[in-house]
Amino acid sequence: MKLKIHILILLLTLTCNLEAQEKYQISGDYKDLSFKEFVTRTESFFAVNFFYKDEWVNDLKLSDYPGCMTLTCVMENLLRGTSLYYYIDDSGNIVITRNYAVKISNAPIEKENNFIPPTDYPDSGENQQMTGNAFVEVGNPAERYRPGKVIISGYITNRDTKEPVAGVTVFIQKLSTGTISNEYGFYTLTLPRGIHLLQFSFIGMREKKFNLNLNGTGEMNVEMNSMLIPLKETIVSAQKNMTLQRFEVGAEKINITSFRLLPTSMGESDIIKSVLLIPGVQSVGEGSAGFNVRGGSADQNLILLYGAPVYNSSHFFGFFSAVNSDIIKDVTLYKGGIPSRYGGRISSVLDITSKEGNRKEFAGNAGISPITTHLMVEGPLIKDTLTYLLTARTTYSNWIFSLIENASLQRSRASFYDFNGKITYDLNKNNKIDFSSYYSHDAFRFNSDTVYSYDNNIFVLKWRHFFNSRFFSVLSINNSLYNYDISSQDVATEAFVLSHKINSTGLKADFNWFQGRNEINFGVDLNKYTVMPGSYLPASDSSLVIPHIIEKERAWEGALYIDDKFILTNFMSINVGIRMSTFYSLGPGSVMIYDPEYSKSRSTIIDTLNFKSGEVSSRYAGPELRMSLNFRVNDKSSFKINYNRTRQYLHLLSNSTSISPTDTWKLSDYYLKPQVGDQFAIGFYKMLFKNSFETSVELYYKEIKNMVDFKGGTKLIMDENIEKDIVNVKGKAYGLELIFKKTEGKIRYSVGYTYARTFIKSIGNFSEEIINSGKWFPANFDKPNDLVVTFNYLFSRRFSFSSNYTWSTGRPITYPVATYHISDKILVHYSDRNKYRIPDYSRLDLSFKVSGNLRSRRIAHPNWTFSVYNLLGRQNVYSIYFKKEGELVKGYKLSVFGKAIPSVTFSFDF
Amino acid sequence: MKNIQQIILFSFLLLLNSCIVQFIPETDEDKELLVVEGLITDQPEAYTVKLSKSLPLGRKNVAKPLKGCIVKISDDMGNTYSLKETVAGTYVTDPAKFQGTIGRWYTLHINTNTSYNNLNYESFPMELKPVPKIDSIYYEKKIIREKDEISQALEGCQVYLNTYDPENNCSFYRWEYSETWEFRLPYDVTNRVCWLSNNSDRINVKNTSVFEEDRINRYPLNFISNTTDRLRVKYSMLVNQYSLNEDEYLYWEKLQNIAEQVGGLYDITPAAIPSNVWCLEDPNEKVLGYFSVSARSSKRIFIKDYFQGIINLYNECISDTIPGGVPIPNLGISVWVIEYINDAMPPSRVVTENRGCADCTVRGTNKEPVFWKEGK
Repeated sequence: MKLKIHILILLLTLTCNLEAQEKYQISGDYKDLSFKEFVTRTESFFAVNFFYKDEWVNDLKLSDYPGCMTLTCVMENLLRGTSLYYYIDDSGNIVITRNYAVKISNAPIEKENNFIPPTDYPDSGENQQMTGNAFVEVGNPAERYRPGKVIISGYITNRDTKEPVAGVTVFIQKLSTGTISNEYGFYTLTLPRGIHLLQFSFIGMREKKFNLNLNGTGEMNVEMNSMLIPLKETIVSAQKNMTLQRFEVGAEKINITSFRLLPTSMGESDIIKSVLLIPGVQSVGEGSAGFNVRGGSADQNLILLYGAPVYNSSHFFGFFSAVNSDIIKDVTLYKGGIPSRYGGRISSVLDITSKEGNRKEFAGNAGISPITTHLMVEGPLIKDTLTYLLTARTTYSNWIFSLIENASLQRSRASFYDFNGKITYDLNKNNKIDFSSYYSHDAFRFNSDTVYSYDNNIFVLKWRHFFNSRFFSVLSINNSLYNYDISSQDVATEAFVLSHKINSTGLKADFNWFQGRNEINFGVDLNKYTVMPGSYLPASDSSLVIPHIIEKERAWEGALYIDDKFILTNFMSINVGIRMSTFYSLGPGSVMIYDPEYSKSRSTIIDTLNFKSGEVSSRYAGPELRMSLNFRVNDKSSFKINYNRTRQYLHLLSNSTSISPTDTWKLSDYYLKPQVGDQFAIGFYKMLFKNSFETSVELYYKEIKNMVDFKGGTKLIMDENIEKDIVNVKGKAYGLELIFKKTEGKIRYSVGYTYARTFIKSIGNFSEEIINSGKWFPANFDKPNDLVVTFNYLFSRRFSFSSNYTWSTGRPITYPVATYHISDKILVHYSDRNKYRIPDYSRLDLSFKVSGNLRSRRIAHPNWTFSVYNLLGRQNVYSIYFKKEGELVKGYKLSVFGKAIPSVTFSFDF
Repeated sequence: MKNIQQIILFSFLLLLNSCIVQFIPETDEDKELLVVEGLITDQPEAYTVKLSKSLPLGRKNVAKPLKGCIVKISDDMGNTYSLKETVAGTYVTDPAKFQGTIGRWYTLHINTNTSYNNLNYESFPMELKPVPKIDSIYYEKKIIREKDEISQALEGCQVYLNTYDPENNCSFYRWEYSETWEFRLPYDVTNRVCWLSNNSDRINVKNTSVFEEDRINRYPLNFISNTTDRLRVKYSMLVNQYSLNEDEYLYWEKLQNIAEQVGGLYDITPAAIPSNVWCLEDPNEKVLGYFSVSARSSKRIFIKDYFQGIINLYNECISDTIPGGVPIPNLGISVWVIEYINDAMPPSRVVTENRGCADCTVRGTNKEPVFWKEGK
């Protein structure tokens, strides 16, 4: 593997000031001095500073150089015949470089907004990358002594794929300052002029260091190398200082390399399962679609794929994630501190960034496990310009049904598949267009001739335009469709098809402007929603079912936002943003008016309001303030404060403990007010032991207004006037999250502990609308204690072992507390909502990966993954239910996974 | 819908080696709540209102009647009728004085005695809605297991109901049924032929408001499996069809949602289902049960057919064979003779230690029900 440095230097100019150099007149005897002694002596005589690496100069000794009375002369003689070069600037900095000399030219100063093609240095051998720091000069030296700070900025790309790398930490240890590259790989830093040691680090990438001589504002683009080029999935590296740098409290980034290391549940890497390992994220249990972030319900998470919302994020009702992990570049979860460019959900944003196709060559990956198989191909259509990436995944689980010794299940069928496609086109240096598409399908047919199916369908067109190096925009149009159908032919006269559909079209314009100490982000976010709440139609001619279609709902949601990341001082930065969101629910439609004296029901309707097509039936608007403060205590620790408000106009109607397949989406309307969330959070972050340990403490408090709950025992499907079943509730949540991570070395581990509480309180006026006498009660997903421990051991490049252990308090449950008789039926009376708890949850997973061959010339690189889910075979209780058996009511515990689930996955890269 | 999920989950759970283990929860609730069970129909008969107290979970399910209460029914014409307590906790109307009338609204009033809590309870006014006749009740044989080399086929019986209201008056229905079946001991004993009765313990409700016509076809009322001996000789079912108003329909539907559809991953969050009876002094007090006001129509069906693989509950009766002349200890106390073998040498007697094998009245009654001859 040959390594090269690619450094792009803008405004690489230098004037050789011979006079300045000649002023260092050497006197006295320097013969036989070691280089270091010479440096000490010279630095004490003159106002000069040497920059070099100790190991380069250890063997270097000065000898007698006759007639040599200047520093430049001595240096030239000394370094002659070695691989070292030197460079003296006019402020007395003497920089030693190895293997190459710094290029000096008198290039005219170019306009700032022009790009200059990369300047490739001659190949300088492999060692240089490991030990030497490249030396880079940026800015016009003529500006060197001007007052004030200057800006360095640039793009960070992956050397192999040429994709931008987001989340790279750019750090200057001495100044304790740094930044993180944004999603386009762009970074910007405000620095004093002079020489700095700049570090670029990122998970799975080789760290890069540059000696930067900064004369003035300029650009430096960097290409980074993957750690192990053929095997993308074997190394996790530290994201040093990253948590210190981020503005947000509660933002977590999962890199695909670390995610691939996690044990799988059924041979499939699962993005949602890895999100569940983050402190503050919980789920109701196995097999439940969705997750809960800091006390928010599952529909309060905005899941973005290619920037478009995903309305059903699971296959097989939650046993698999709907998004194929092959396309994922990285995933960012915002538990708090949601940037103002995101909106529409109140608890979290899960932004899935997708890979772009390989720009250099055709490549791919295929895998097979007992239940699923997947294939990914990528490559350039036009090298470095037009690329594609296509993936497909499907299950063939039907054979399992045929093995089951149960006549009624043998005829059952279950399947899913999904496709992803992405085409990126670099129009020119300033314009980049990509088109992405996603389609997923699930279908189940059971013995009863009832077919259940659902689809996700997403299209996104994105155009990135660079006005100049510090101002760029992203314009995108997306469409996301989710629908499900349930049909039954069981009874000919009652044959039906029931459907639900949500379709949203979004237009988003996002602008990023880097100006001095400010990074300003502003834009517009427009969404049009159409929801078909439900249609119930006869499925055959003999069916007596009356076609019943609930009126479509239509609405517009619009938002304008602006935020500014502002660096106040070296140790303090602030991020202030505001998002103004509005929501218009549109006709045609009718709204029932109920007698305010009574609880809403069909019999208390006193009037009907009719709205014409396009008429606004209800409108809501409000500001959403997002603020965070970042204090850097020192270069090892920082402290952050954060507040954010979020508004949500789209709700998932769910009457079950977790998201169920028949839950429907509903827009805010005349009765259903937008949910509003307020979160305060503080966090303290510290790096320990030479940055090899990362620790953090985060505290949050959250209040949610206008949450939705339902009257007991109601079914929500095909409900024409859902407001009569709704109980208005509010929520509050608070918690403490502790993280301790070792992120370097062959052995890596992390411990995350969360103490979190979530409560709900009903605020209705009528007895039917009051839950637990109107007192605060724990939400379904209130699990106070949650511990996650992960452990990875990377034996070698070929073998790796990983495991994770989870323990949490059992979720709350409503128990039956009494029985009674009504005409020979024994009925059960239930306790107050969520008064009791199921037993604690605990699970250990292991996985072992073997990479078949490391030779990069081999055509295919096989990988084996052996994994055991729930190794201890613990029967974690999912739910407790009660059945009448004769005269007795008996309780049962249901566990989704009753035993350890082993799986083997074979995959290969080509 | 719910069934679909149930099946889906059931199959997943099988795939995933999931397991279900019995579990007794510990709760700290000991409050006894008032349980109201009242029914007024349009039929000329005595109507009963039963009052009882709820039972803590895990105890024997013997209802605790609530004695000595004052129970009255009033209608929208200003009439009030008092009910008399006949059996403890059971309050009945006098059919000579009171009969439900279609279209009238009725309200229940209760004053509990001092030994309970001495409070006043009242129901919401409930309208008596008309009900059509049951169109037909019929059955179909259903194969439970196909015949193969080793074992015979197993069959069950699915009973369906059709009903039709040409006037479109009734769109919410509830059914209750009472089963009666004849069973015979396989031995020639005195009490050999008996009858057994059982009331439905499932909630059967349906609404036709989503159908074009007020017509219900093939409502699956009851499935009789081969694991009982209901179908061995002759079986009968009396079905009562009740009209409901929407509020009562929702009550039963919610009760059904939480009571009968449990054990899956997507269960409806269980909750206490509010009654139509409430406490005047303390509206927050929970009351269980319902005061039903419904018109009623009935129909009886007989099933006398051959079903394969019906279980024989008297397979393991024989305990011993004792030669004649030898005295049998505890005869008539714990040992009973079920057969005399006279053609053997020496003649012997077949005895059982299970009294049910020697006397069918252990399980049922030997009095033939009055309607039994109706169905040939």
